[in-house]
Amino acid sequence: MPRTIQILPDAVANQIAAGEVVERPAAVVKELVENSLDAGARTILVRIEQGGKRTIRVGDDGSGMGREDALLSLDRHATSKIRSAEDLRGVGTFGFRGEALPSIASVSRLSLDTCARGEVLGTRIQLRGGMIGSVEDVARTPGTTITVETLFFNAPARAKFLSSPTAESRAVSEAIIPLALAHPGVAFALESEGRSLLDLPPAADLVERVLQLWGEETAGKLIPILAQDGEITVRGVIQRPDATRPGFRRAHLFVGGRPFREAALLRAADRGYRTTIPEKNRPWLFLFIESPRGTVDVNVHPTKAEVRFRDRKAIEELVERGVRAALEVPESAATFEARPAPPVLRVAEPPPRRLSPAETTERQMALFLTRYGADAAAEGSGDEVGHQPGEGEEERGAPPRLWQVHHAWIVAEVRDGLLLIDQHAAHERILYERVIGRFEKGGEVSQRLLFPLTLRLTAAECAMVEDLKGLLQRMGFEVEGFGGDTVIVHGVPSPHPYFDSERCFREMIAELTVGSELTRAARNQHERLAKSFACKAAIKAGQALMAPEIQELFDQLFATELPYHDVHGRPTTVRLGLGELERRFGR
Amino acid sequence: MRFTITRQNLHQGLNAVSASLPSKTTLPVLSNILLETTADGVRISGTDLDVAVRIRVAVDVVEQGSLTAPGKKLQEITRELPEGPVEVSTRGEQIELRCGRSHFKLNGLPAADFPTLPDIPFDRGWTASGSNLLALIRHTAFAVSTEESRPVLNGVLWELRDREMRMVATNGHRLAKMTIPAGPSQETTTQLIVPPAALQHVQRLFNESDTVQVARGGNHLGFSAGGTEVYTRLIDGTYPNYEQVIPKDNDRFAVVERKGFESAVRRVAAVASEQTHRIRMKFEDGRVEFNVLTPDLGEAHDELEVSYTGEPLVIGFNANYLLEVLRYVGTQEVRLGFKAPERAATLEPVSGDGEAKRDYLCLVMPLRLVD
Ligand SMILES: Nc1ncnc2c1ncn2[C@@H]1O[C@H](COP(=O)(O)OP(=O)(O)OP(=O)(O)O)[C@@H](O)[C@H]1O
Ligand SMILES: [Mg+2]
Repeated sequence: MPRTIQILPDAVANQIAAGEVVERPAAVVKELVENSLDAGARTILVRIEQGGKRTIRVGDDGSGMGREDALLSLDRHATSKIRSAEDLRGVGTFGFRGEALPSIASVSRLSLDTCARGEVLGTRIQLRGGMIGSVEDVARTPGTTITVETLFFNAPARAKFLSSPTAESRAVSEAIIPLALAHPGVAFALESEGRSLLDLPPAADLVERVLQLWGEETAGKLIPILAQDGEITVRGVIQRPDATRPGFRRAHLFVGGRPFREAALLRAADRGYRTTIPEKNRPWLFLFIESPRGTVDVNVHPTKAEVRFRDRKAIEELVERGVRAALEVPESAATFEARPAPPVLRVAEPPPRRLSPAETTERQMALFLTRYGADAAAEGSGDEVGHQPGEGEEERGAPPRLWQVHHAWIVAEVRDGLLLIDQHAAHERILYERVIGRFEKGGEVSQRLLFPLTLRLTAAECAMVEDLKGLLQRMGFEVEGFGGDTVIVHGVPSPHPYFDSERCFREMIAELTVGSELTRAARNQHERLAKSFACKAAIKAGQALMAPEIQELFDQLFATELPYHDVHGRPTTVRLGLGELERRFGR
Repeated sequence: MRFTITRQNLHQGLNAVSASLPSKTTLPVLSNILLETTADGVRISGTDLDVAVRIRVAVDVVEQGSLTAPGKKLQEITRELPEGPVEVSTRGEQIELRCGRSHFKLNGLPAADFPTLPDIPFDRGWTASGSNLLALIRHTAFAVSTEESRPVLNGVLWELRDREMRMVATNGHRLAKMTIPAGPSQETTTQLIVPPAALQHVQRLFNESDTVQVARGGNHLGFSAGGTEVYTRLIDGTYPNYEQVIPKDNDRFAVVERKGFESAVRRVAAVASEQTHRIRMKFEDGRVEFNVLTPDLGEAHDELEVSYTGEPLVIGFNANYLLEVLRYVGTQEVRLGFKAPERAATLEPVSGDGEAKRDYLCLVMPLRLVD
């Protein structure tokens, strides 16, 4: 039998590769911009016409290439970025396959102008369908400009699948955004038919880049996150709970500066937000993962959109934990300012882990005050928030002054302004964490009743009580069925002096039986009960509190894990900064 | 209306009445007091709609009439007036005060806007000595409930029994009951459920030496002595059968020296949980051992010598309830009775030499740790 298998000529191989890497103008832009970033560019200008279908031009001020390199760069598997399989394990550049340029060239008319640093004369190479047409000298400043015209001119079937110019332009812009987020210090511009779609001058940090992209309103309501576990670090910014909304969100993940997609990690981050936001809200996330050499494989997807972690679970956990920790600090509280100053990103040291519960009250208070002090000190300097005391050291540990107003709110005077606390929401958070603790670690203390409560309930409610008997007991309700539609409560919890046990019990059982938004948002039975109890048992608005009770509520709130957020996804606390006050009074 | 009154009398009257004005109200007339002339003087009244206070002062009335006027303002003014006669008069809806060279005009509201106080037939009521009444109130009123879902427990039960008066109050966690052998002979027991706010006014306005007239008019109760009257709405409903929950079969008893016991409870409670105030006690022959363990806080152990009879017992309480009750029991020695860790404990005074014998009983329900 004659030989039937043949090695494909390069031109065909490249076209096939192009099928995987280059499916639309946005993919071309992504590859070219990545090359520019790999070449150390500080400024990258992208111009497109017809959404990139007619022309794509990417110019940079990077290292440029000498003539020999320029010619080689168009060959398949020609790369300057790795030399061996070993290099691939720790690859720090976007590129490593050496196939982007030849693939693009094979399906377009491409011209490459480049001039290496230190040289005066550059090279211009022109290709058509991957075949070199001409090589000539050109005068230009150091850097590289690649122009791709009539993409897919020789692959009409592919050309047909392209969308409208508007949709393609949007895709191009979306291809640039993640790279721009990963490199805030690099200037990016995108122009389409002479119109500017993106104009991003060099930014100081990620938050400034977000501000350039989506405005102060978004950037001002981001909070820093930083979590570390051994050699793995997660840092970045996430949306403050009160700023989250349902529907569309921006969620960008990076590993080693490389954008990637991973739904599981976003879900982990969302888990970190649990109870602090309404269930349907989708927080914006910008997370940068650093993980040591060899623990992540970036070569698993044709367009490198996905990566594989050796231990994804560990990273998911770290992300969830990091988000939680970010929501523990005062910066995560709602503020009055519609557009507060964007947070100064100072991420260097992980927030202190919670130690034994015994320490928390004390520690949280101290932390609370230092944070405020340190904040002011760090303002502008961009320094990390350490635990260096702010000025006025002696104030540390001194409890803030507290007032109850309108029998519903507590005003606290803190270092950099005021905290307004919703007494009911705050107490909900306290009781919620307390009940969850009881479920995990053991039962509540139950106050026996002289006159047991004899409650007539609906059949469904009775069944519910029967079902939950064990858990109710752990919450402090000692309940006994009485047959038929009656239950008897012999013992009750006493979460505060104004507690109305009968009312709480009835309302809670009714809510659990009928269901509510609150109970439906719960992940499991424990959460459902704890949320419902917290909501029904917490001190109500309208309840006058005595000074020690106010103090106690405040202390307990700040001993919880997430003091700034209640269990419905609303804030417990709104911050009013001195800066904002001064601004309002025109000082 | 026109009359002359000494500054002293006017001021005392206003003080007594203004305390009954609501601190916050949406009905403007409630922040006013009502001044009315009567055949033999004037009446000053104030109310928050639940409780009312009325003072009668004998004065020479020159011109009959009535008006309401801002209570707190009048009180502030008369406090600082020089000693001497004050001429009070009205012109339209204004009240005028003249005293020496001081002259005030305040805007009032028509007397007709003021709520009508209930008609209490004091001549058909009964009397109680101030000392008995005050002792009953002091020893029980503290125990009332604030839970809205059981309104009857928000009041103090006042029972008029055959030659006895008794008050009982409870919030379902602890109960106080005191009986005083006084009052008319009667076959049936009358039960009145009195809001504690009214009893506070009684405590404030009447003295030990007063003979207080008490009478019921419909759903209201009135107290009267020396020209001072307190009116209150009674709480509707049936008081739970408290006799039934008073343990008759307690068989373990401790007699403790009150001061030492209180002090031990107070010091170990310092380490108790801020929410439950739970302390645990172990009673056994000759001693009681205190144990407190609060996971996030620390622990306490203490011991006292007491006389104890019965099987050893471990029982937990809200320390605040114990301390409160111990304070009112008052005698040098106190007897505690128990049956089991989930059953009510009794606390009673043990009258020593020179201590008055009192029929007083408190119940405290234990706290249990449920797992
Ligand atoms: N803008 C540029 N400036 C300087 N050198 C460049 C530029 N673009 C490409 N090169 C050079 O051309 C080579 C080939 O680029 P190409 O994108 O084809 O492959 P790669 O980036 O190495 O790998 P990958 O296929 O994974 O992107 C690069 O390794 C680099 O040396
Ligand atoms: Mg490349």
